[in-house]
Amino acid sequence: MPTSNPLPPKENALFKRILKCYEQKQYKNGLKFAKQILGNSKFAEHGETLAMKGLTLNCLGKKEEAYEHVRRGLRNDLKSHVCWHVYGLLQRSDRKYDEAIKAYRNALRWDKDNLQILRDLSLLQIQMRDLEGYRETRYQLLVLRPGQRASWIGYAMAYHLLEDYDMALNVLEEFRKTQMPKSLDYEHSELLMYQNLIMREAGMIDEAINHLQRYDKQIVDRLAVEETKAELLLQKEKTGLAGDVYRGLINRNPENWAYYTGLEEATKPSSEEDRLKLYKDIEQLFPRASAPRRLPLNFAEGSAFRSLADTFLRRALQKGVPPLFITLKRLYKDPKKIEIIEDLVLGYVNCLKQCGKFDSSDTAEVEPPTTILWVYYFLASHYDYKQETLKALEYVNLALDHTPLLIELYVLKAKIYKHAGDVEEAVRLMDEAQSLDTADRYINSKCAKYMLKGNLVQEAADMCSKFTREGVPAVDNLNEMQCMWFQTEAAEAYKRMGKWGEALKKCHEIDRHFTEIIEDQFDFHTYCMRKMTLRAYIGLLRLEDKLRNHQFYFKAAMTAIEIYLHLHDHPLSDSDQDKNQDTENLSPSELKKLRNKQRKAAKKAQQAQEKQKAEHDKKEAAVKKQGDGELDGPKEEELLPEKLARPEEPLEQCIRFLKPLQTFTSDRIETHVSAYEIYSRKGKPLLMLQALKRGCQINKDHPQIHVCKIRFLLTMNKKGEVSESVQKVLKQEMDKLYFGKDAKTLNSEFMDRNNNSILHRLAGARIMYELDPTPEVQKKSLEIATSLSDSYTGITRLNCIEVLEAICRGDFGSCVSVAQDYQTKCHRLFPLCPSFIIPANSHPDQILANGS
Amino acid sequence: SNAVSPQTSMANTEEDPQIEVEESTEIKTKKHDSGARDLEKVTDYVEEKEISAQSIGDAMKAMSDRKTKERAKKQERERELAKVKINKEDVDLIVAEMEITRQIAERTLREHNGDVVEALVALTN
Repeated sequence: MPTSNPLPPKENALFKRILKCYEQKQYKNGLKFAKQILGNSKFAEHGETLAMKGLTLNCLGKKEEAYEHVRRGLRNDLKSHVCWHVYGLLQRSDRKYDEAIKAYRNALRWDKDNLQILRDLSLLQIQMRDLEGYRETRYQLLVLRPGQRASWIGYAMAYHLLEDYDMALNVLEEFRKTQMPKSLDYEHSELLMYQNLIMREAGMIDEAINHLQRYDKQIVDRLAVEETKAELLLQKEKTGLAGDVYRGLINRNPENWAYYTGLEEATKPSSEEDRLKLYKDIEQLFPRASAPRRLPLNFAEGSAFRSLADTFLRRALQKGVPPLFITLKRLYKDPKKIEIIEDLVLGYVNCLKQCGKFDSSDTAEVEPPTTILWVYYFLASHYDYKQETLKALEYVNLALDHTPLLIELYVLKAKIYKHAGDVEEAVRLMDEAQSLDTADRYINSKCAKYMLKGNLVQEAADMCSKFTREGVPAVDNLNEMQCMWFQTEAAEAYKRMGKWGEALKKCHEIDRHFTEIIEDQFDFHTYCMRKMTLRAYIGLLRLEDKLRNHQFYFKAAMTAIEIYLHLHDHPLSDSDQDKNQDTENLSPSELKKLRNKQRKAAKKAQQAQEKQKAEHDKKEAAVKKQGDGELDGPKEEELLPEKLARPEEPLEQCIRFLKPLQTFTSDRIETHVSAYEIYSRKGKPLLMLQALKRGCQINKDHPQIHVCKIRFLLTMNKKGEVSESVQKVLKQEMDKLYFGKDAKTLNSEFMDRNNNSILHRLAGARIMYELDPTPEVQKKSLEIATSLSDSYTGITRLNCIEVLEAICRGDFGSCVSVAQDYQTKCHRLFPLCPSFIIPANSHPDQILANGS
Repeated sequence: SNAVSPQTSMANTEEDPQIEVEESTEIKTKKHDSGARDLEKVTDYVEEKEISAQSIGDAMKAMSDRKTKERAKKQERERELAKVKINKEDVDLIVAEMEITRQIAERTLREHNGDVVEALVALTN
């Protein structure tokens, strides 16, 4: 052992006990033994003991002391692998993986065959996806311990991840030859399936088919075998065999839609009749299965569709299937099918009302009384989808008259109001639904979500608290449980209220969940290898590699970026409170009332929080007293709303949230629009260009990209102080984007191309006015932005609100009457949406006109 | 020598006695032997081998030719890239304009033969 300072036998025995205590998590005992060694003046500076003392202290949460001891230990004994290893472990616990890898490498210089260190190193390498390094380390482990299963698997996996399939397969095959599978040996079976997975990824279709056949009896995951076989046979165009396998799979589970797709691909029915017959035959075999009845609706047309839909609808309505509409929603892409469905169901209503049957023929049977209820329910969903709010409400109310206490009806009614833009009423209804069954967590969560949509954050938390852990504030528990739907909605709510700091806190919390999930991988590197769940493990690694392409991250990042951009443009002073945006249109007395109310609410909330926190702290303390209080990862900086709302470098914060979006969600236009907004504020022409180029690649006529494009052209025309090389790049690339045309020409061409979409019209009109802010152009551009013809696309509530906001924001200069006219027009289209209701005291005549 | 083991919540070490590779040559009788078919599965595999570094060595040798060629090609490319002359000012410009690390800036510049305009165009893609 190369340590420069070996201990005599007695102390060495003590040292071994420190190690043992550490492994068994008896940290306090470990410290006692360390004291016994260090207490002796001869060994007071013994490096390895100091290092171990530090490591033990780290486990007790004393990070600074830990670093001090470990560093001192290392300085005293630079040739000890123990000291370096401990240093690595300490860095690792601090999540400084790159540093930890370096420390492990140093440790290996002094003890190159130390298994423990090699294993630790390999874990860090796979965690950091240093695949080359991982392969080298796994090779050493294999040479040192060829008798161990994990050595082989790990080595093969390294090659697999490096996409060196031949080598991975070679190693696995050598290993497989040594195996003696027992009967029903799950682990061996997984090994074989892993081998097969690599073959398929390598495109070795024939080998994979043969492999499955040869080892068929050893593979216990029968479903995977059959599904894989079917796919492989399809790829080989052995359609007859593939068809047989798919039939077998349908036999196993007639509700899996993918099997039908496979079967169709294998049998290739030549006409619609053949296709229908295929499903008819299966339906006869499995009369209770819904897939063979539902799937033909996707491709059947006209009268065939009508008759199939008729049968399908009647059966479901009779049975009372609440998600019937959801099952059929995909068909609503086809307007003809919507029409047929509507016609059928309206027909049911008539007949059911007249004679209690689906149709008036003699053969029809009298339906149970609940049938008409589900018909109403379906029609309400149907009209809600079609944005025909009043009809939707009519039918849901009929249903409520029929069965006043059915929870689904309240949920649906709330949804109709939400879609119509009346959040307040939606919340009230959802709360009513919730009160009908307070033990139903689904309704509870839905209700909380609606409350958040209505900016009622505290109420939403209280709602959730019925199901969160007792003694902890609901919001804290939801964070601990990584309950991201709540946090995203809360961030949005705070943003709408102008509480920037609170909103940012939620965004950062969500971002931290993602970091946490990546950290959590660590345990699986050893666990999966040991349990041989290799396919799942590979799946996990690939999932983690692109974790932040998840919708939750996207939403949180977009919210954060918008807020940071706002804070960059309008920084808060130290005394500023987070602004409450709604207060601007209130009278002084109203404002005073509101402030009083807010103060009271805040006080109450604070008291409740303090009480809960006190309880929580008490419990925490109790937990800490038991056991040695192990720490999980480094302590993170506390997120303080007041501080978050006053960022020193808001644009750098934006970029932090943007980077993962650029890597993982580069297919979304919003990513590049955000990038443009950020870099235009940083004054980075080439990065703005990058955002534009990427955005144009997705959709060069996207309204937001168009606006950015024109603005970029205008700024670059003005700018003169860029370096020659940058100038060259800009010239070359901008020629490709703009074809040498000027802003006006580009804008009018854009408007000509996209004359029918209201968001495009808005974008074009904005640029038009921006280029030429004269009264004539103002009038013309406003006409373009606010006209609402039936032939236009994109006339939705949210798009209309966007137009209105643009006008109110002053994008077209000052134009109060135009805004009000537009509101009136929209009010007719969206009668329940509060954004389009003009306050009573401003224009009484108009309100009368709208009242009908 | 002394070794320190890491702590993870699920797994302690890979060295679990149960997973040591079987070395006996006799066929194990099973507890839940459900009949002849299961027996067949086992009798398919009478031949067996101790895993040795030798066999892996053989497996690797077969691949080594291709590997060396690939590695040589890669090294060749690295050498070529290293030969490309680049300007410090160009690197500085790329770092400042594109907000990327020096390392990536240098590499991109080398990959484009030291032509700063081309490198910048590539980076805006």
